[in-house]
Amino acid sequence: MFHQTPLKTFTVAAVIAALALYAILGGYFPREIVIEIALLAILAVSLDFVAGYGGMVSLCHGAIYGIGAYAFAGMTAIGGYDTVTATLVALAAAAAFGLFVGAVAANITGIFFIMATLAFGQMAYVVVFESRALGGDDGLSGIARYDLSAIGIDMNDSLQFALFCLAVVVIAYAAAAYVLRSTFGRTLSGIHSNEDRMRALGLTAWRHKAVAFSFSSMLAGAAGILAAQHTQFVSPELLVWTVSGEVLIVVILGGLGTLAGPIAGAALLVLLKHKIGAYTEHWHLVIGLFLVAAVMAGGRGVYGQIEYWLRQRAGRRADA
Amino acid sequence: MKKYVCAALGACASIALMAHAAAAETKVGLLLPKSGNYAALGQEIDDGFVMALEEAGMADDFTLVREDSEAKPPVGVAKARKLVLQDEVDAMVGIVSSAVLGAVRDFVDGSKVPLIVANAGNDAATGASCSKYIVRVSFSNGQVNRPMGSWMAEQGIKKVYTLAPDYAAGHQMIDAFTESFTAAGGEIVGSEYTPFGKTQDFGPYLTTAKAASPDAIFVFYAGGEAISFVKQYDSFGIKKDIPLYGSGFLTSPLYVKAEGPAAIGVKTSLHYVPTLDTPENKAFVAAFKAKFDRPPSEYAVQGYDAARVLVEAVKAGANDRESIAEGLTKVSYTGPRGPLTIDPATNNVVQNIYIYETVADGDALTQKIIGTVPEVRDPANGCSLK
Amino acid sequence: MVADVDFWLTQFLNGLQLSMLLFLLSIGLTIIFGLMHFVNLAHGALYMVGAYAGVSAAAALGNFWAALLIAPIAVMLVGIFLYAAIIRHMRRAGPMNQVLVTFGLIFVIVDLVRIVWGDIALGMAQPAILSGPAEFLGVVYPAYRLFIIAVGLIVMAALSLVLSRTQIGAMVRAGVENDAMAACLGINVERLFFAVFCVGCALAGLAGAIAAPVFSATPSMATDILIPTLIVVVIGGLGSLRGAIAGSLIVGFIQTFGAVVMPEFASVLVYVLLAAVLIVKPAGLLPARS
Repeated sequence: MFHQTPLKTFTVAAVIAALALYAILGGYFPREIVIEIALLAILAVSLDFVAGYGGMVSLCHGAIYGIGAYAFAGMTAIGGYDTVTATLVALAAAAAFGLFVGAVAANITGIFFIMATLAFGQMAYVVVFESRALGGDDGLSGIARYDLSAIGIDMNDSLQFALFCLAVVVIAYAAAAYVLRSTFGRTLSGIHSNEDRMRALGLTAWRHKAVAFSFSSMLAGAAGILAAQHTQFVSPELLVWTVSGEVLIVVILGGLGTLAGPIAGAALLVLLKHKIGAYTEHWHLVIGLFLVAAVMAGGRGVYGQIEYWLRQRAGRRADA
Repeated sequence: MKKYVCAALGACASIALMAHAAAAETKVGLLLPKSGNYAALGQEIDDGFVMALEEAGMADDFTLVREDSEAKPPVGVAKARKLVLQDEVDAMVGIVSSAVLGAVRDFVDGSKVPLIVANAGNDAATGASCSKYIVRVSFSNGQVNRPMGSWMAEQGIKKVYTLAPDYAAGHQMIDAFTESFTAAGGEIVGSEYTPFGKTQDFGPYLTTAKAASPDAIFVFYAGGEAISFVKQYDSFGIKKDIPLYGSGFLTSPLYVKAEGPAAIGVKTSLHYVPTLDTPENKAFVAAFKAKFDRPPSEYAVQGYDAARVLVEAVKAGANDRESIAEGLTKVSYTGPRGPLTIDPATNNVVQNIYIYETVADGDALTQKIIGTVPEVRDPANGCSLK
Repeated sequence: MVADVDFWLTQFLNGLQLSMLLFLLSIGLTIIFGLMHFVNLAHGALYMVGAYAGVSAAAALGNFWAALLIAPIAVMLVGIFLYAAIIRHMRRAGPMNQVLVTFGLIFVIVDLVRIVWGDIALGMAQPAILSGPAEFLGVVYPAYRLFIIAVGLIVMAALSLVLSRTQIGAMVRAGVENDAMAACLGINVERLFFAVFCVGCALAGLAGAIAAPVFSATPSMATDILIPTLIVVVIGGLGSLRGAIAGSLIVGFIQTFGAVVMPEFASVLVYVLLAAVLIVKPAGLLPARS
């Protein structure tokens, strides 16, 4: 069950503020890092929405991210449509794919669900990879960015683009939190904790799960739209399963089922990667050891661990 | 007195300025994969690059900024932007993967920073989507394979079956070969593309290829796939009936040791072979072996020549982004791989293509050159630089 | 297409050979999961270690057969270390944490292998007696591939015998069916798991060493093999020997004949199959638990 606790609000605000400050004060590369974190954070929020609150651990969120990016790229670079139409089509495409996967895989659970989503994701990857119309493995370039000059934002400026991405993270988080607090969200949590009971109450569980998966996919698609505008180039690598794997790592690292944790997890993983990467080519090794250590230390994720400490302290104070 | 001091100070200042101009003036960003599947190639290119700078005695004149592209397009773009906007490099060198090259192309062209491509072979990079700022010293996919088509037809080979991984480079390599082979009267009796990066077992494809009973098989594979392919080809015992030909990456010195005796008799075409019998190459191979204790591969030469063209351009007076881009296209010299010039029409390298056979040399394997196609120049392919 | 018996027989052998390699890898993974619900994503990394250990042992000793013996033992030792240091403590940590920890292990093991053996793919010579083609049922087929098929079949038969006829086998089956009940009956489930884990690691190492002469050893093989192995395990149904056998045969043959009959769809066929199986039978074809 989701509660927008003060700690969650504080965590999201602190991480976003710190990143914004980093982008404003840092040079060019910090802004690239902030954008990378923002994209990963949106994906992580969208995955945590279904995995943490709906029990649907997906290994196709990378593919959905790619579908969003490709739909936006195709509409602007090939179709010549304006960015607003392209955004709507990309969100719809991601949501439709999510609805399909969610509906078909609704009765599959546990590791089998992970594998089923992997299968659908890989199918999408192969289709894009083989598609000559979408440029195949050469990818697509010539993608337009939003024109927000009317409200004084220059999207071609790296700082303003980075801040825009951070704003989308907040919007995605707020949207996910809003849905989770609604009746729909409470029902989703109910299905997660006991699907049979919810069925007995007369609920069509699979339909509910499919809609939830579709909503989550729409958020992932939004991240894809930003990714396409960021590099102004899309290639099939966006859809590969290892992208989904990285998102899953971020969610678990930040704290599964905390919604705020994954945002912190995204910042932590990306910063760690770049800081270690500056010293050694073998940054995978250090990240790997870090992941192992993080789980061995308690496995609640960074945010989850902080929440746990605070709760324990509160408990001790209550005892005293 | 005052005047005298001023003059002295002025002289000092100008000497200091000149010294500064001579030392560490050109900042170069090396954008190569340092992790992931292409890390070995990135290292070879890096080694060749550093060696050429040292050989020219100009290692101190260049400041190098290294970034790991991970051979992933989004990472490559981010790192290219970092090199240009934050480090403010005067030139970029590297790019192993064609996907990364495609991703950074618009940015490089827009920011007007010269990029010396040291591997990625996508034909379009010096064709339809060529740029004044992108100069390629490595090869294009078509350039390496086109000469092989006519050469094989000349050898009296009539029917060929082709195999390659199913991605852009695989298609371009096979297309270039097919075009020149059929133009010379040859016939392609069958052709298959194997799933890229997912095929380890070539058994089913080899069995199908054999059943088409061609005179020869022509393939493109590189890296781990090349090793698997050559060994499996040998184990199926097809080699004695149907000889194996291919793009020279198949039996690159980098992999041939792992392929072992299976590689004997394989004939391939490439822009560099370490056994080339020229004074330039002998000196290069000896120097490389002395420094790194292994023979240089074509990738090391690409790194070497990337540095060499840059050095030549700087020596000729280029000192900023615009003049380096301008100067690179005028470079011409005879290096380890023979005469090398940059085609001003496409900015692609013009070079010899060598056809070589992998042969046994005691317990080791070596390359015997059996044909040279001089100064191969790519058609403009829709590029209109000149 | 070719309507020739030799052609299809050769392709059949190709499919069988791939299936046997997949079987050697997936059986360890599936029994470990079935017995202890432990998702070991690092299984593919152990396969890679097996390949490299085989290459080094063969180069150092100049003997293929010694390498074939040393590689599984080396991988088992790595497995024992991992078990003692990490996996033992992760038994009740939940599947998500197990996924994360074993994912981290992949990173660590792959980078350690890169540091020790470098990035360039390494080859391993086939033993003289098995190099070159051989005659089998009237077709010419690489002797080494026949050897892979034979090893796979022998391991398969041995495991079937152990699982169905011996006391240990009965204990394993009981543990898979219901570990709490098995523990009540006086079976030391933890020790059983450890033994099964060691055997699984050794088989992964064996698969790596056997595969090295055909595929060469590369750092990317750890993740390349992971997905096909998981697909085999999931299609077959978790925890059962029969499932692993069925899954390996299905995946091996689909990949081989997909490449022959409809090459343009070869890479997507196995995913279509996976999705189809899961939609029709959400727990795989032959799950251990009914």
